[in-house]
Amino acid sequence: MTSLDYSKAFTDFWTAQGQALMKAQEQAGTALAEGMQAVTSGKLPMWPDMPADLSAGSADLARASKSIVELWTAATAVFGKLATTVPAMPGGDGIVEATVHRMVDPRSWVRGTGEMDEVLARMAQGPRFADLWEAAVMLEAWLQAGRRFTEQLAGRSGAGSKALDAKEALALWTETANQQLLETQRSERFLQTQAEMIRATTALRTAQQELVEHFGKQYGFPTRTELDDVHRTVTEIRRELRAMRRERQVPVPVARPTGSVKPLRMQRSTRPSNARQEGKRP
Amino acid sequence: VTQIGSSPATVFSDAARLGTKMLTGGQLLHGLRDVDVQIATTPKDLVWSQDKVSLFHYRPLAEKRVNVPLLICYGLVGRWTMTDLQEDRSLVRNLLHLGLDLYVVDWGNPSRADRYLTLDDYILGYLDGCVAEIARRAGVAKVNLLGVCEGGVFTTAFAALEPERVNTLTLTITPIDFHADTVEDRPGHGFINIWARSLSPEDVDRLIDANGNLPGEFMGAIFNQMSPMRSLLKYNLDLLDIMDDEQRLMNWLRMEKWIADRPDHPGEAAKQWMKDLYQQNKLVRNEWELDARRVDLGNIRMPVLNVYAKDDHIIPPATSRALASKVGTSDYQELALAGGHIGVFVGARSQTLFAPAVVSFVEQHDPPRA
Repeated sequence: MTSLDYSKAFTDFWTAQGQALMKAQEQAGTALAEGMQAVTSGKLPMWPDMPADLSAGSADLARASKSIVELWTAATAVFGKLATTVPAMPGGDGIVEATVHRMVDPRSWVRGTGEMDEVLARMAQGPRFADLWEAAVMLEAWLQAGRRFTEQLAGRSGAGSKALDAKEALALWTETANQQLLETQRSERFLQTQAEMIRATTALRTAQQELVEHFGKQYGFPTRTELDDVHRTVTEIRRELRAMRRERQVPVPVARPTGSVKPLRMQRSTRPSNARQEGKRP
Repeated sequence: VTQIGSSPATVFSDAARLGTKMLTGGQLLHGLRDVDVQIATTPKDLVWSQDKVSLFHYRPLAEKRVNVPLLICYGLVGRWTMTDLQEDRSLVRNLLHLGLDLYVVDWGNPSRADRYLTLDDYILGYLDGCVAEIARRAGVAKVNLLGVCEGGVFTTAFAALEPERVNTLTLTITPIDFHADTVEDRPGHGFINIWARSLSPEDVDRLIDANGNLPGEFMGAIFNQMSPMRSLLKYNLDLLDIMDDEQRLMNWLRMEKWIADRPDHPGEAAKQWMKDLYQQNKLVRNEWELDARRVDLGNIRMPVLNVYAKDDHIIPPATSRALASKVGTSDYQELALAGGHIGVFVGARSQTLFAPAVVSFVEQHDPPRA
């Protein structure tokens, strides 16, 4: 990717993210509006904790969306500047370069929620299942997240409540969406869908391997099965060798512990720690 | 109605602040080289190796206070370098500063050629070899073991099968009852347990057989799935928060280096891990067999210190604490640390609690030199 490509990709990404956010929330708004119509017409019961006045929530939602998109837009400009400096960054394939590229390459940003299907697809070297998966399960999760977000905003309504700035609105959206996605991931439907994906990708990979094996045999190339056979044999020989070595080892003289057990004493570290930040999860 | 929205002035000011951050951060990153991002730097020597497994002995940083050496045993998911991430967040350094004689085992980088290695090989082969070598070098019959996560399962099984060779057993964020995630059932916690049970044993076999091993990248994706929005925002908004602070940026990069180093899990061993333990929960039921020997937790008669993280979403506390009622010793203690799975090693509070507790524990049970 050239610096110009990066800049363009950056702008596209931020814009696409903003649009996706807007779209998700528009869909949530539409769902709300339809839901309201259904409720008022008596076709559907109100869901638990549904705010009585949904029009207020919808207005909040629109304002929140606008604020968040403004924040993303502002960030677009500065990230775009960084993107132009990328070619001058240190070379090599180490962690610094990888981090810089992750920062500026939108393709690696979108790995978050769709990462599993990408990994599976790479493992199978076959087609992506993301569309199917997301269409089937994840879209609903995002819509639910949008609905919850609206409810949260409506719940904050009232005298004396602090105004949310764009960052706070984004934080609220992140937390709400995270919660919804976690719940979705634990659902039977999601787990079954993911299991189906694993079955499909492994079946594809196995079929590909069988095909390659067929041609390999035909042309006299070593096949995966033959290599596996060799590896199994080597592992078994190593296992036997370890066992033989162990049998030949001279037993270590036993030093018996003495004295009774003392209660656990807590000691402080003898050296000061200047660590200030809790570690992050992998 | 809640007021939301930023004025144009606020947006402009935010953008200006972001611009300054990006400029400073860009300069910092520009000046960095890969060699600047180092982890696991505490000096050590290779003292034994077999196949791809290496045993390292740390050089002392203080006068020895404990006669029996301690071996740190990480699992095959991730690498032990987490225990020595950086100088001011290092369990290894903290233990050395408190006078421990310390070893660590590195399982290497398993490839497709290692797909037939089993947990029997790792526990009763390689780990056994490490324990024997440490005992030989130190002239002792028993060593202290400190197992981490999957490595904790290794040391637990070893202690149950070879109790005469283990002086004390310290476990850290170690699953024992793989179905105890249902005890608290906290949202976002224990997803791997739920996910593993959603697959059939045949699914696991097919997944492994199709790939040879359990790819490290695959496990990384599962971990990321456990905090979906954080994973989505990690390389943009999260990084933006810290990128103009050199110390925090370096901490972040070191963590990235550790995360990126995720070896593949040997295939047959992964099948055992997923099916025998996550699905069939054989360890806590005393039904697990290695080399045709049943792992009976009641044989763990040496002193046990079980360390868990109160907010561990990967290994929920109940899955670790299940050991209490299973061991064959009354000398069983627990240490609950604040934070999550990795916070145990790199969290600021852990730096002053974890290592001192371990050293105090092994020191109390240290036999005098003959």
